Amino acid sequence: MDKIEQLIAGLSKDTQAVQPAPRPWLLGLKWLGAATAYLVVTLAISGTRPDLLLQFHKPWFVAEIVLLTGIFVSTALSAAILSFPDLHQQRRAAFAPVWMFALFALVLFFSWLADNPPSPLPVHSFECTINIFIFSLLPSAGIFYAMRQFASTHLRLSGIVAVLFAFSTGALWLRLHEQTDSIIHLIEWHYLPMIAVAALGWWLGKKLLKW
Amino acid sequence: MTATAALSGYYSPVHFQNGKQVTDRGDTLAALMQRSLSGDTQAYAELLQETARLLRPYLSKRLYAGSEVDDVLQEVLLSIHKARHTYDGQRPYKPWAYAIAKFRLQDHLRAHYADQLHNAEDLSELEEILPDDVTESGFNYESISEEVKKLPEKQATILRLMHREGYTSKEVAEKIGMNESAVKVAAHRAYKILRERLER
Repeated sequence: MDKIEQLIAGLSKDTQAVQPAPRPWLLGLKWLGAATAYLVVTLAISGTRPDLLLQFHKPWFVAEIVLLTGIFVSTALSAAILSFPDLHQQRRAAFAPVWMFALFALVLFFSWLADNPPSPLPVHSFECTINIFIFSLLPSAGIFYAMRQFASTHLRLSGIVAVLFAFSTGALWLRLHEQTDSIIHLIEWHYLPMIAVAALGWWLGKKLLKW
Repeated sequence: MTATAALSGYYSPVHFQNGKQVTDRGDTLAALMQRSLSGDTQAYAELLQETARLLRPYLSKRLYAGSEVDDVLQEVLLSIHKARHTYDGQRPYKPWAYAIAKFRLQDHLRAHYADQLHNAEDLSELEEILPDDVTESGFNYESISEEVKKLPEKQATILRLMHREGYTSKEVAEKIGMNESAVKVAAHRAYKILRERLER
């Protein structure tokens, strides 16, 4: 009996019934549910911005929130698809966040054009990045832990998407909490760092999602 | 295990579940996997055998040595076993299995080339020292070979075979009855000693 046959005999001898993993959309919904609960609880504790209802009358604010939510949803679904070795044979869906980011960039550009005269810059700067980072730590740990239960074959990409998912939760929280309307500030201290931190996911994915 | 499968000893598209006759549809391997997930050991053994048969040519085309193919195939089968919960039997089996095989093959090749690169760096270190010393410090081939002779016998033999007679580390390993990795380690240590001595 050669090595391969021995291995097959060993593996099959002790095999037991296994519960197949849920479908990616169900898995993504589960992760979205957990992250939304976290977002709602933290918003309830920290409070929403006082002019939130008023802001929802502004089309560019609504577009920004809708697309940020789109990034939040698409990264969760993409992370779920990337957790399967064959991407659940839905390769295109795994790259949905790319389109969402492109649309988001477009909306930010138009918001910047519409921000005339420009809204005053807030007195703080990097504190926003730090707040988003701290807020995103728990979702990051959660999503990496959840993804480790599966078998990704795209470790680095999975890492990036996982970090983006966590940080989009953080960005949503701060946008609904902080009373800032300067697009320049938002781009500089909310959204660009979020993309920069995704580079960390490149490294984290390789380290944490190995199986 | 199903009654039909137990009697025939081979996979059958017709089997019984809870007393009802069930006919597998679609991909045979997908059906085997579905049965494996419900704990059918014979279906699982057959699935792994079929998978090994399916993947061996894929790996053989991409790997040089037969032993490497066996090693990677074992890794792939273990990975399939580990990740079997990510397959639900509702989509084609082959893309799933190939995705795992490709992932493990890339892992193997990455490790292999990293090792080769490490070895190449050792050689380049020595090459960097030798010409400089030959021109600047009056070193010639004889003086270097004298230094090589002063090394422990095993290290000297390895360097002589590799650098004077042009054998690869694998050939040297076969020639002197050592493991290839052990040859590389011994050569690396010898380079270090030589470098220290030549730099003095």
